[in-house]
Amino acid sequence: MPWLACKSRRIHYELTGPEDGPACVLVNGLTQYVKLWLPFRDGLVARGFRVASYDMLGQGQSDKPRLFIDQVDQVDVLHELITSLGPRPVFVGGISFGGVIALRYAIEHPNSIAGLVPMSSFAEIPPQLMRLGMAMRTALILGGTTYLQDLLFPMNFSNAWLEAKADIIGLATHRGWLINDVYALQNLMESFLSFEPLTDQLPQIRIPTLIMTGEYDFLTPRPLQDSLRTHIPDSALVIVPRAYHAFTLEKAELAAYVMARFAEDVMAGRFQGKQSIWVAPEEVGGELTPFPAGFDHLRSIPVRLKEPEVAHADPPAQAAEGSEGAPQHEAAS
Amino acid sequence: MNAQLGPADDEGRIPAQQQTRVSAFLISAHGAQARQLLTAMPLRLRQPWQVELHAQYCREIEMLSLLTRATSWVPDPQLGLLLWQWENAWLPRPMRGAADHYHGLLVDMAALGHAIHAGIRPAALLPEGVAPLDPFVQAMRRIEFESGRLLQAQILFLKGPQLADVREEVADAVERRHDQVRELWTAMLQGLNVAVE
Repeated sequence: MPWLACKSRRIHYELTGPEDGPACVLVNGLTQYVKLWLPFRDGLVARGFRVASYDMLGQGQSDKPRLFIDQVDQVDVLHELITSLGPRPVFVGGISFGGVIALRYAIEHPNSIAGLVPMSSFAEIPPQLMRLGMAMRTALILGGTTYLQDLLFPMNFSNAWLEAKADIIGLATHRGWLINDVYALQNLMESFLSFEPLTDQLPQIRIPTLIMTGEYDFLTPRPLQDSLRTHIPDSALVIVPRAYHAFTLEKAELAAYVMARFAEDVMAGRFQGKQSIWVAPEEVGGELTPFPAGFDHLRSIPVRLKEPEVAHADPPAQAAEGSEGAPQHEAAS
Repeated sequence: MNAQLGPADDEGRIPAQQQTRVSAFLISAHGAQARQLLTAMPLRLRQPWQVELHAQYCREIEMLSLLTRATSWVPDPQLGLLLWQWENAWLPRPMRGAADHYHGLLVDMAALGHAIHAGIRPAALLPEGVAPLDPFVQAMRRIEFESGRLLQAQILFLKGPQLADVREEVADAVERRHDQVRELWTAMLQGLNVAVE
């Protein structure tokens, strides 16, 4: 079992895929651990990527500081892991809390990675998210890890998934309870008590960035992802259809496919973010389609944008590649 | 070595020898907490945090009572020596760098509480197939669940602004108590042929 040493802390990580392949580093969300990346990881490995996944400081089998976990420490751990991968293109993908750490990393180490994929992530904590976060912290304190997980399941997954997986949810909850410690999860959540918005620093991220968001994510809803898009210059926003917050689990293969396509386009020099907005395919192998021109992507009903808000943008290479000769699409910016 | 207690018998009960040793350890640890809380508490409560101390004391007493009644006790010749070792470990060790001796003792008490409530997870050692309504099984689950709540008082105090100037010393004190509790807990379990990481 490989371990990474970072400032006297031990970090549990796993490396899979061809040794000389470009790398994808995956940063987990709250209550998650390495094994939960397996289908996502396998999707990337199948496309030739070397994948590093790890338990964040305070989670899974990594060390769990007793009283304080600073998000700066999480960035240091990520830096250590990326450095250990040596000179090769590295793409960092993070979900939710992990997405925040990935964003912080890209701000602080802008030249050390080839691309960034924040998923279900955020750079600011508006009142709804703050209140949800505080409620989840209270749930953890009063009801323990299991109660927190009970709250997270319906936020993270669709009805269809919850119905289909009803028989394994108990086991998954038990595993989550076993591997997580109340005090460590609490430390992770409390690292947001002094959180300062990253929004103003986002323009410092000059690398290609693919922001992914679930169509139905109500924990970190689309405006939060859209804020990333409008502040990161070379970015594109991809909406994953019928997905909730944890689409890296529910739609792992599809999400991995979108990330792999992005990385391949970046390495081939084809990616042009242009702060454009896209809809992911329903299945692996499908094409991304531009969000319908002239409509407001932040609404749940089709509302036309007012004229000054409609902008023209070239489609990123991902769509053009699979739809040769397709007309130029309009995308809202 | 097994990763968990057991195996459970046909009725889903943990072997009495294991129940005895585990409960003795928990009674020793939580009993020490209860004694320290009682010592730290004035006869008349004047401060809000003293009310919290009182609540903690009552819950520790509840745990002791529960363990005493829910355990299938059997004679254990090694318990005398083990208890002496455990009780010695819980003796107060005031944190260095505190404003005064009393605060040093309070930090140590909270650090020990943090280590006991966060570091000991007896329910995680229950194997599959245990009877969920067995009193010992229920006690283990209840103690782990309540420990998660009791921990809050220690977290609030140890992370509080009154100790911000001595944050590193506090973190060291907590780390030392965690190491100590983990070492004793692990050794006790190894004596039952149970290995925990």
